[in-house]
Amino acid sequence: MKTRLLCALVTLLLSSKLSAAPIELGASVQLTGQFANTGRYYGDAYQFAVDKINAAGGVKVGNSREKLSLKILDSQSDVNLSVRQYVQLVSQDKINFLLGPFASDFALADSAISEKYNVPMIQGGGASDQIFSRGYKFIFGTLPPATDYFQSTIDLMSQLKPAPTTVALLYADDAFDVSVAEGTRKAVGKTPVKTVLDQRYSSKASDFNSMLSLIKNQNVDAILVAGHETEILNFIRQAKSLNVNPKMYSFTVGVPSADFRAALGSDANYAFGMTSWVPSPALKDEYFVNAEQFANEYKKRFGYEPDYHAASAVADVEAFVKAIESANSLDPVKVRDAIAKLDFDSLYGRIRFNTAGQINLPQTVVQIQKGKLVAIYGPKGLLEKPLYPMPDWGKR
Amino acid sequence: MQLLWQILVNGVLLGGLYALMALGLVLVWGVLNIVNLAHGALIMLGAYVCYYFFTGLGWDPFAALPVAMSLLFCLGYLIQRWVLNLVIRAPMFNSLLVTFGLEVVITYLAQLLFSADFRTVNPSYAGANFSFFGATVPWVRVLAFGVALALTFALWLFLDHTRIGRAIRATAQNLVAARLYGVNPRQLYALTFGIGAALAGAAGALYGVVSQINPYIGAGLTGKSFAIAIIGGLEKSLYVLVGGLFLGVVEALTALYIGPTYTDVVSFGILVLVLIVRPTGLLGRTA
Repeated sequence: MKTRLLCALVTLLLSSKLSAAPIELGASVQLTGQFANTGRYYGDAYQFAVDKINAAGGVKVGNSREKLSLKILDSQSDVNLSVRQYVQLVSQDKINFLLGPFASDFALADSAISEKYNVPMIQGGGASDQIFSRGYKFIFGTLPPATDYFQSTIDLMSQLKPAPTTVALLYADDAFDVSVAEGTRKAVGKTPVKTVLDQRYSSKASDFNSMLSLIKNQNVDAILVAGHETEILNFIRQAKSLNVNPKMYSFTVGVPSADFRAALGSDANYAFGMTSWVPSPALKDEYFVNAEQFANEYKKRFGYEPDYHAASAVADVEAFVKAIESANSLDPVKVRDAIAKLDFDSLYGRIRFNTAGQINLPQTVVQIQKGKLVAIYGPKGLLEKPLYPMPDWGKR
Repeated sequence: MQLLWQILVNGVLLGGLYALMALGLVLVWGVLNIVNLAHGALIMLGAYVCYYFFTGLGWDPFAALPVAMSLLFCLGYLIQRWVLNLVIRAPMFNSLLVTFGLEVVITYLAQLLFSADFRTVNPSYAGANFSFFGATVPWVRVLAFGVALALTFALWLFLDHTRIGRAIRATAQNLVAARLYGVNPRQLYALTFGIGAALAGAAGALYGVVSQINPYIGAGLTGKSFAIAIIGGLEKSLYVLVGGLFLGVVEALTALYIGPTYTDVVSFGILVLVLIVRPTGLLGRTA
């Protein structure tokens, strides 16, 4: 009797496991630790996308519709732990497909796991060109290349009056920012603008007084900073306290994020930045209707505004759904080939990977004007009048 | 020349804040023989106290500073009384591990309570500055420097010229003799750690005014404080000030002449050199 009961129980468990066997997506994300501030976009957006897709019926494979399930591990902002967790996801947890972490350093290390185990990873958090220059077949990225981040800003600079004639380039020493600097250096080289300062700094830096004093001393027109939000917050505050008044400054990250503007208050004004995503109703989406509606729902659910990181993360999940449906299979290699052929419109923009596995979206130049984020310059030219040159700190 | 002068001024002002950060660590290390790895986390807590009093109640950050100090004193007292006193007789390695654990716990709780959002304490005068022989000097940095000097001086007065202060130093020098003279070491240790934490709270309150804060700033600040403690030596609180100023100026000059990537390499390189050449600190008596 007992054995029979046990058998029945085991069968029941097994069958329930089988019938409900969803398509498992796995990711290791920085939910705690120094990158948690941006890491949360990925944790939240992945979950949001999975819930939405399941509510719409799930993923069509063969004649049935399968639900998605999501397994997120917390890497505590530690690259080594992140790599171990990806190994665990593919070798122990046997998840079907991988979603990515935040930040290029992480994606660079973690993509080695997806390559080794031949499990496709679509990541929306690493933009460095290094990730895609190693001939890997199983890594795809939905952030535009880091080398192009400042291109639109440099295009805008030539249209400003009076156009900046000197530029200072500062960048942190991680994979993403080094790639940004390489691209920026080339792009500035093609213009008449002179680079008077080209300086790398430690990612742990909190004090920019020496660099700012040097910039003030050289009377630089435009400052381009590729770094992390913490550093950029310090940079702007210290620029104010040392009364450094360039005609403009622009930053790779921070400017589009709501908490950046909250932290700086009115001191955030006039800062330029860039974003690959603007929550516009023109960006249609199968699951979220459009980008504007997504942004509203996201804010309602999580209590903070999404930026391009979140949109990019949603696109990663949607890309898997489209690829699985088009491959009509869960076989990792078939799905990989289907991802490479994807071409669809999402709330984030058009998803179509190049041969290296990265997509290309134009960066829209944004500026904070009176506490609001304003889109200034896009691929079609000027959208809104930039506030330029910045008024001196004393005259604000 | 103008630039060099400006960089020196920057370095000195930064060094004052560095000194205050290290002061609490040095006190606890010197008296209790505990290298408090949670020191930076306590600085972080001080910064958040100041932040919430500033944004929530509209207090001026310099008015919130004594509040941060008092709260951190209580926390420090409790930590020593109920956690660290239990391992005070064990080898130094144990207390290192305990404070390391505390650091992790405090940081994690801070993220739960305060979220990972980046914060700043940004009073209206945060960017105000004046010109001093051609160098631009930010007022908040001068105020922070002044507070750092005042607290260093106050600590020196307290340790050298009050009964409790002398008891603290006596306990550090010879526990048995101090006990014979009626000192209650358990109480005194808790008091010392409380003062160390209060100094961390003061440093945190000032740190939030000049820099951004988030739950993860602690570890880096502990490292910096540690370097200053080694460079200045553990003997006198005034030596800490010298260590802080030295590091501030060296970092500012490194950023300008060698490159800002190398500030940590240089400052920790100096730490190693000091340990080899003058293990008791730049100003300490040679052994």
